[in-house]
Amino acid sequence: MPLQEILQSIAFGLLAFIAIAGAIGMTTTMSMFRSGIFLMASFIGVAGLFILLAADLMGLLQVMMYIGGMLVMILFMVLFMMDPGGAMMAAMPDMLSPIERLFSAGLQQDGTNAHVPAQSGMHASEKNMDMGGTHAGMKMDDMSKDMSMDSMDMSMVTPVRTIAVWIASLIAVGLVILIVSRSNWHVVGLRPDPDSARAVGTLLLGKYMAGFEGAGFLILLGIFGAVFMAHARSGKSTPIEGGRTASVKALAAVGSEEIDIDMPPSTRQTMTGTDSPPSAAHAHEPNGSAS
Amino acid sequence: MISLNAYLIVGVALFAIGTYTVIAQRSAVMVLMGVELILNAVGLNIIAFWRFVRPDDYSAQIFLIIVVTIGAVEMAIGLGIMMLLYRQRQSVQTDDFTELNG
Repeated sequence: MPLQEILQSIAFGLLAFIAIAGAIGMTTTMSMFRSGIFLMASFIGVAGLFILLAADLMGLLQVMMYIGGMLVMILFMVLFMMDPGGAMMAAMPDMLSPIERLFSAGLQQDGTNAHVPAQSGMHASEKNMDMGGTHAGMKMDDMSKDMSMDSMDMSMVTPVRTIAVWIASLIAVGLVILIVSRSNWHVVGLRPDPDSARAVGTLLLGKYMAGFEGAGFLILLGIFGAVFMAHARSGKSTPIEGGRTASVKALAAVGSEEIDIDMPPSTRQTMTGTDSPPSAAHAHEPNGSAS
Repeated sequence: MISLNAYLIVGVALFAIGTYTVIAQRSAVMVLMGVELILNAVGLNIIAFWRFVRPDDYSAQIFLIIVVTIGAVEMAIGLGIMMLLYRQRQSVQTDDFTELNG
């Protein structure tokens, strides 16, 4: 066996391990922030596999699009989560399966004090609102004492975990059987052109021009739609929003002022300032500092 | 030379883990991460088939570019919707949105 093939096998094993272990870690760890990082490891592994498959441009695209773009969005959204650091679940390791315990090892636990400062980057007011707003959050303080069904309900994964494991493994086994049973793919021994970026570019702006332009237009519309959707309208509330707030208010016994439509200024500024154009963020800033 | 089946099996593993994530996770962000994992498995399969079956036709890479683009748009819109839901309910847990019959 020549040296090159040995190196290729080692690289494949390493990258496949990174991809799969990152994916498993992403779904089993209790900390959402940690799952973002595990997902990044998985993306890096897949990018390495692309490069190993002589599609180096695709590996670069993978790193730039997924890690540079999407993961930043994900980690930003994780900050809106309740208990993003998984401190609550890490405090009760009895409820975790062994693999979840492995990937959640070393998480800061939420034993004595409810406000662990290092568990998230949220503001204090936002965190209070988060805990008061959802009716489940009220049970957060006394949940490390009793482990009833309610505290079980707080876990990051649903109780259908075991069913999901069975479904996923059935899918995996079925697909592997299909792959192995039909192993007569028409594999050609051709080596691809090492200058594949040039060929892809020529194809992209020649034969697939319409698809390329369509994808560009789609991403433009999509980003505009996302920005318009996430943009906070100033003070106005739709009837649906009022109804929702009323129902949440009826459910929540404590902290009902904080879930009113008039959120604390710091929260509003955090929401608008991050996802809207800079002019809108500046327009809100005098309000926040004045009141 | 690594065989095509090895790459396909890595893709199967990623797909299965993504499916598990989509079913079992509770928060919407984690569900989106599972969808991204599934898209990654699809991309890996596309590139593996390109490399081993038709290495002279670069259409597969164009297809992967389209897939990644649509994944990015889906992620952006999903996060926008999530932010809207968070502003209404202060929560993005999927269990809180069981009555979306409007």
